[in-house]
Amino acid sequence: MINLIRIAFYTIKDQMRQKSFYLLLAVAVLFILLIRSCYHGDYSVNGQKLDNVSVAWHASLLVFHVIAGGMFLMTSMLSMGVFSRDSDDGSLVMFLSRPVGRWQYVLGRILGIWLLSTAFMFVLHLTIFIIVFVNTGGMITGYLTASLLCSINLLFAIVLTCFLSLILPNFMSAIFTIIIIAISFISDGAYQAMHSTLVRMFVSGEGTVATWRIYYPKVYMVQNYASTLISNKQFEAMGETNLWLNMGLYTTALAAIMLLDFSRREI
Amino acid sequence: MISLENVTKKYGMTTAVDDVSYNVDRGECFALLGPNGAGKTTIVRMILGFSHPTRGRISIGGIAAGKPASRKKIGYLAESHRIPPYLSGRQYLMRHASFCGLGGASAKRAVGDIIELVGMAGNENRKASAYSKGMVQRIGLGAALLGGPELLVLDEPVSGLDPLGMRDVRVILEEFRNNGTTIVLNSHLLSEVERICDTAAIMNKGRILMKNSISKIVRANETLEDVFIRLVEVKSARR
Repeated sequence: MINLIRIAFYTIKDQMRQKSFYLLLAVAVLFILLIRSCYHGDYSVNGQKLDNVSVAWHASLLVFHVIAGGMFLMTSMLSMGVFSRDSDDGSLVMFLSRPVGRWQYVLGRILGIWLLSTAFMFVLHLTIFIIVFVNTGGMITGYLTASLLCSINLLFAIVLTCFLSLILPNFMSAIFTIIIIAISFISDGAYQAMHSTLVRMFVSGEGTVATWRIYYPKVYMVQNYASTLISNKQFEAMGETNLWLNMGLYTTALAAIMLLDFSRREI
Repeated sequence: MISLENVTKKYGMTTAVDDVSYNVDRGECFALLGPNGAGKTTIVRMILGFSHPTRGRISIGGIAAGKPASRKKIGYLAESHRIPPYLSGRQYLMRHASFCGLGGASAKRAVGDIIELVGMAGNENRKASAYSKGMVQRIGLGAALLGGPELLVLDEPVSGLDPLGMRDVRVILEEFRNNGTTIVLNSHLLSEVERICDTAAIMNKGRILMKNSISKIVRANETLEDVFIRLVEVKSARR
């Protein structure tokens, strides 16, 4: 176990050694700071002026989704070359010539990237949280908890990219991960939109849901569930247990197949 | 210390190692010799658990090769050693030290000693990307020597080293051998092998042609190189 934690620590250290990591963080924080202007404008809907808190709340919810969505891109980029890079630069031999199990190496790398991505996303969400607090004096309850919940999605994205990178070229593994996640957003997003109060006012009747859509990874639903912690709305799209079971099973199954494949590989 | 029982390794239709069996005793300095493609590196990789035998069994100190516990007391230097370019020699050795169970002050002290031993003092804080092949090899050897290994597995340890470096490596290996460390040396430099090792196995095309003590392999008025060439050429001609 200690080796796994050690490898995770080295993973974080190595990623943070790269200038591109800080460039990415700086660009992301700058983007968020630019959003500050949204909190100062005068907005009106149907002639009624909206109060600052309400604007801040809506803008923050939108930015929450943008950040959580954007993080998929970053995690895929971080994870896509981890095994091949280690193989090329001698890191793999460095770890595995010592009493380190292959599973410890794989899970250590994944844990490191996950912790780093989660911290990265948390910093961005925390920045928004602070901006809202400074500008309106109000705190968006559940915002930071929702950020941590979304890290489950990041773990799925990392495991999926690492798994795919064992069978596909690095860049393709990142692209495929993004496509798989995008399908979840389109499929479940569309389902939820069709069942929203607004659409139900105009459309009646129940359509049948294709079986694959029921069993497809519920990435969008996890993010949506997390956002209900901010909006304080009831999560009605599906049972909570099913949601965690779905994501838990997919992540565990992918990790298990990956470990099995890696344990048989020639180093 | 090391036991190979009927080990065969196949890559598709190609047989890299063909039914090889031998033992290396504790404290023995054993050389694995053979032309390119003889299967030496494949055997070394199987001892480390990087590659799995198609058939047969390898154990180190009674533990099956490939299990993390079997590598607890192994120091390994790969044939084309590589160091992550973003790490300095010292950082690289510190990482190795952490996996050897060394921490804090003892790790720093052990790494400092090793840097002196392999002649990298003054260059240990430079990034590996700025190292020459010889420097990488010296740091790699240092990593193998960290933590007081009971077994040293060295695949072409003098590759890339100048004559002075070769002499330094020989002196270090002789010191470790005299302290009772088991050494498995995979090398093309037969003159060095002859000076350092007690026993040798000569391989060709995946098979062991001869395994014996160096004194028995080399007859009067002969060198190990003469025996090697004679043996490999004769066997190749017969096939």
